[in-house]
Amino acid sequence: MTFRHPAAGTHPAFATPSYGSTALRAPKLAPLSLAQGPVELSGPRFDTSVLYPHHDDMTRQSTAAPLGERIIVAGQVRDENGHPVPNTLVEIWQCNAAGRYHHPRDDHDAPLDPHFNGNSRVLTDAQGHWKITTIKPGAYPWRNHPNAWRPAHIHFSVFGSSMLQRLITQMYFPGDPLLGDDPIFNSIPNDKVKERLISRFDWSLTQPEWALGYRFDIVLRGDEATPAN
Amino acid sequence: MREPLTGSQTVGPFFHYGLAWKPGEHLFPDPNTPGERITLTGTVRDGKSELVFDAFLELWQPDGAGQFGHPNQGSCAGWGRVNTNAQGVYVAQTVMPGSVQGAAPHVMVVLFARGLLKQVVTRIYFAGDARNAAEPALQSAGARAQTLIAQPDPARPGVWVWDVVLQGDHETVFFDL
Ligand SMILES: [Fe+2]
Repeated sequence: MTFRHPAAGTHPAFATPSYGSTALRAPKLAPLSLAQGPVELSGPRFDTSVLYPHHDDMTRQSTAAPLGERIIVAGQVRDENGHPVPNTLVEIWQCNAAGRYHHPRDDHDAPLDPHFNGNSRVLTDAQGHWKITTIKPGAYPWRNHPNAWRPAHIHFSVFGSSMLQRLITQMYFPGDPLLGDDPIFNSIPNDKVKERLISRFDWSLTQPEWALGYRFDIVLRGDEATPAN
Repeated sequence: MREPLTGSQTVGPFFHYGLAWKPGEHLFPDPNTPGERITLTGTVRDGKSELVFDAFLELWQPDGAGQFGHPNQGSCAGWGRVNTNAQGVYVAQTVMPGSVQGAAPHVMVVLFARGLLKQVVTRIYFAGDARNAAEPALQSAGARAQTLIAQPDPARPGVWVWDVVLQGDHETVFFDL
C-alpha cells in the first residue's frame, strides 16, 4: 500500500513568520521526496497495558475533583477514505481551567490546581471511537507578540496503523473570540481544514445535570489505492 | 468522497507530562531481542546552532533480524520516544536494526518540537554498512547524505552518534514520504 500525500494547504508551512518560534526551527530546504518503505509503512501497536487508572477521565485522577467546567469530549479516528482506525493510541493533554499547565516551565501567573494533571490516554474502539471527561481548559498568554493569548485548546497525539499516519494537533472550542488572531490556528492554509480543528457542541454527548459534550473527529492519511467509502 | 485530513499543529513547549513514556528510551526492553545492543545519541540544534532543549524524537525500527514488533515483548517493541534534555541531547537504547527486504538497515525518526507546526521525518543509517552504497534515500540526498548516517563513537564502544540540525548550514535531510 501507499499513503496518499496530504493535499496542499492541509498542514501549515514550516516557516510561518507570525509564529515566532518557527524562525530558527523551520527547515529552510524542502524535504526530499522518497518512496514509502517497509519501516515507515509499519508502526507500533499499543494495547491496554499502556493505560492507567482513570486514563479517560481527567476529573478523577486525584483525591478530589479539579475546579472548572466539566466537559465530555468524544470523536472518531478514521482515515480519509472513511475507514475507522481501531485500537489506536490517542494521547491528550491540556492546561487547567485557569490556563496553567502542570509543567515546571509554565510561569503564567495563574493558579495550579492540585487536583488536575491534565493528561489522558485512550485507545480507540473497533469503530475508531474514543471519549474522555475533563474540564474546559482556560486561555493563556504567551510571548509571541504583544498581548498574545492562545485560544482555549486541548492537545492531541494520534498514531494510526502506520508511522506515516502520525499526527499531533490541537482541538479548539466553538465561538472562541481568540481564534481569529491566533497564529498557530491560522497557520493552516485551507479554511475548511482549519474549521475542522474546532470541536462542535453536541447535545447527544451532553449529559443532564453533569457535563456539556463536544465532538472532535480526527482524519488521518489513507491508502491511495483504496476507494473512498 | 474523500474527507479532508485533520491539520497538524505544534506540540508546543509543555508536552512532557502529556507524552511521558516509560521506558521511552528503551526501544526493545526484552534482553533477548535479536541484534547487537547499541546506544543512539546526539544533539538537536536550531538555525543559530543553539541546542534545542524542548524537542522529542520518536524512533521506529525492526529488530536485528529485520522483524517488526514482538507480541511477547510488549506490543510496541521497536518504538521509542526520547526527549532532548537541557543540553539538547537525546539518548536511546536499542539494537542495530536488521535489513528489511534487502534495504540498508535504518531507523525511522519523527521529531516534534515547539516551533515545528508539523513533524520532520527522516532516517538514520549506520556508517560502514556496505548496503548504504546502493540505498536510494542516501543517493537522493547527494552530498547531504552524511546528515543521515550515524557514526560510531571511538571512545565509547556500542555508541552511535547522530545529530540533528533543524535549519541552516549542514541542515539534516528530511523526507516527504
Ligand atoms: Fe497549549
